[in-house]
Amino acid sequence: MHPATPPTAGAPAGRNHRTLLTRRRLVRGLAAVALAAPLALGAAGCGDDAGDGGPVKLSVFWWGGDARAKLTEDALALYTKKHPDVTFEKTWQANQGYFDKLATLTAGGNPPDLFQIDDNYLAEYAGRSTTLDLGSYRDSGKLDVSKFPKSLLEYGVVDGKLAGVAAGENTQGLVYNKTLLTRNGLPEPTTGMSWEEHIAWAEQVAKKTKVPGTQDPSADYKALWVWLRQQGKDLYKGTELGFTVEDVTRWFALWKGARDRGATPKPDVIHEGNSSDVTKQLVVTGKSTTSWVWVNQMPDLKKNTKDELGVVAYPGDPSAQWARASMYWSVFKGSKHRDTAVDVINFLNNDPEAVALLGTDRGLPSNLDLRAKVSETVTDPAMKQSIQVESELAQKFGPSPQVPIKGHSKVKSELTKAAENAQYGRATPAQAAEQFVTACKAAIA
Amino acid sequence: MALTTAPGRTSRTGPVGPRPTRRGAGRARYGEGLAGYVFLSPWLIGLMGITALPMLLSLWLSFTDYDILTPLSEVRWVGLANYERMFTADPSYWHAVRVTLTFALVAVPLKLAAALGVALLLNRAWRGVGLFRGLFYLPSLLGGSVALAIVWVNMFNRDGAFNSFLALFGVEGLPWVSDPDWALQTLMVLAIWQFGAPMVIFLAGLKQVPVELYEAAAVDGAGAWRRFRAVTLPMLSPVIFFNLVLETIHGFQGFTAAFVLSNGTGGPVDSTLMYTLKLYISGFTDLEMGYASAMAWVFLLAIALVTAVFFSTGRFWVHYSDGDDS
Repeated sequence: MHPATPPTAGAPAGRNHRTLLTRRRLVRGLAAVALAAPLALGAAGCGDDAGDGGPVKLSVFWWGGDARAKLTEDALALYTKKHPDVTFEKTWQANQGYFDKLATLTAGGNPPDLFQIDDNYLAEYAGRSTTLDLGSYRDSGKLDVSKFPKSLLEYGVVDGKLAGVAAGENTQGLVYNKTLLTRNGLPEPTTGMSWEEHIAWAEQVAKKTKVPGTQDPSADYKALWVWLRQQGKDLYKGTELGFTVEDVTRWFALWKGARDRGATPKPDVIHEGNSSDVTKQLVVTGKSTTSWVWVNQMPDLKKNTKDELGVVAYPGDPSAQWARASMYWSVFKGSKHRDTAVDVINFLNNDPEAVALLGTDRGLPSNLDLRAKVSETVTDPAMKQSIQVESELAQKFGPSPQVPIKGHSKVKSELTKAAENAQYGRATPAQAAEQFVTACKAAIA
Repeated sequence: MALTTAPGRTSRTGPVGPRPTRRGAGRARYGEGLAGYVFLSPWLIGLMGITALPMLLSLWLSFTDYDILTPLSEVRWVGLANYERMFTADPSYWHAVRVTLTFALVAVPLKLAAALGVALLLNRAWRGVGLFRGLFYLPSLLGGSVALAIVWVNMFNRDGAFNSFLALFGVEGLPWVSDPDWALQTLMVLAIWQFGAPMVIFLAGLKQVPVELYEAAAVDGAGAWRRFRAVTLPMLSPVIFFNLVLETIHGFQGFTAAFVLSNGTGGPVDSTLMYTLKLYISGFTDLEMGYASAMAWVFLLAIALVTAVFFSTGRFWVHYSDGDDS
């Protein structure tokens, strides 16, 4: 920022103007600026736990849009109605910046009692003992997970501790513009198409409609992940990478081929898709026929386009996909109200009324009985469709992989960087793969 | 930085003769001094509590593996490891240094040139010149705002207003903000466009140039260019110096626009990875606050060094009227 007053201001007019801007004033002005624009980073931590008893005010923090906020607030209000001594301090915001804020709150000794988290950060938090191990609550039955799919529950376990409880289930979904395909008499993609078939289909679509057939997902970790699992590899194995430079080279080469055949958008448009939130995915903005998303994002996508959308699994063998916790509820380890917080998680997952209120906004309900009930009563067509597709896919799901390890958020951003390097033609697939794997090794070391 | 300016000032002023004593006997001076500090105390307490202490803390953190989530009491001392990694094992650190230097080297001189040029134009007694001054200053009022950056990004999209404008002339524009070869340039143009603050300072400086000098020069037959070179520039040199130092520091610290343009990633392909953005990502996204603190300290020292270089070269081209007096 600039000083509000130029250094020459305030000099009496009419006096000898030669002395107006002296070296002394200049230095003073600069010193003032230096003080006004300090460069400081730091954080002070303090926290004190007092005894419990009486009314409880539980702080809850989540990311999402207005719709989710409304649903969540309603569900929490229902809890208060049933437990009048428990009220909530609710904070929510968009996904971008959410984890910065959560980390800052934690550092400031003021983390929320109950917070939403996803698999990108679960291990980061659990590995630093920020999250409460919910295992004892599970064992004592205070946290009822008897109706959860086993693999979904296990996807919340880090280093043998139950760090988060799935707030919903989702899986990878390839969303396509049905209207565009029908209008041009083109076939819709199907689950089980091979990657080659998918790319050939996309090329055909691009030629006929002039809309690129598929967004090049080479920068997308969840697409790479599925593809790796189909090759018998994985994103992580223990504390190591589950793939090699050769694997990534083949992945990047696959998509270079697709770009060369004109099946994908131009690099800058791909970049736009890579860096946009769900409401601006290319299938919605009409810049691509397909987008690579999570199945439960269908309703959100649908809200932003008039066209009809369809959703199938990612190409290749769908058993490479798994019941992924779209997000978890976790409890801060130092929370004064941990029992209450766990009870709220239990309520949000197992209370029929609460689950009905929440719908599929965070993914399919984790409780299978209630999931069936919600599926019957849901009216939103896009939601209905995503439930149907995911339920079909659930028959084919393979076992869950391990939760991504510490450093995963960096691995994600390094993948984007390397893939875009290849997309813009600044690196060959082999160079980009080499760059990516080197960076990953440093990130998870 | 502030603490060193006091001795620095006396040494630089050098032997220009005794300065007039402004105060009388010691007693009165002491009383006034105390009152001064009392009046200063709100600021002083703020400085210590909000700036100095966290800065010292971050200096300590820069020698640790602090990751934000772990309590401060449990951080591990890692010695110079963070600094070592920065200089030897993190290519993206040096990339960020390059991006920042490129940005500052291009944007700062152009911004100052634009500011000076417009200030010269507006330093006339036109009718309505005040309105123009206001209009030119306006972009700077919006300053580092997020809203402005969002507007900018949308203007320079592939289908943004700028390309629609180019299309009027049959020119097909580029996707400026999502092309790694152009994204940083787009940010530079944004920075240059916000030349209002240095412009106002230049204007104030121009007003101080004695009219007699121009008259004398004109009598001696100097044309407009010659008058600018021989009168305006030397008389304005302290103001130029001031703006140069300020804008350089400001340029190094550019963050908001880069953050908005890249959604906080420094993309496309790290082309907008400014130093401060890299620092932010390290601290808050990668949860390596110890490493980020080390970066902040190197940054502080680098800026101090650049400023010191400016001051040491200043004596060759900055003309202070007070120095000439004696």
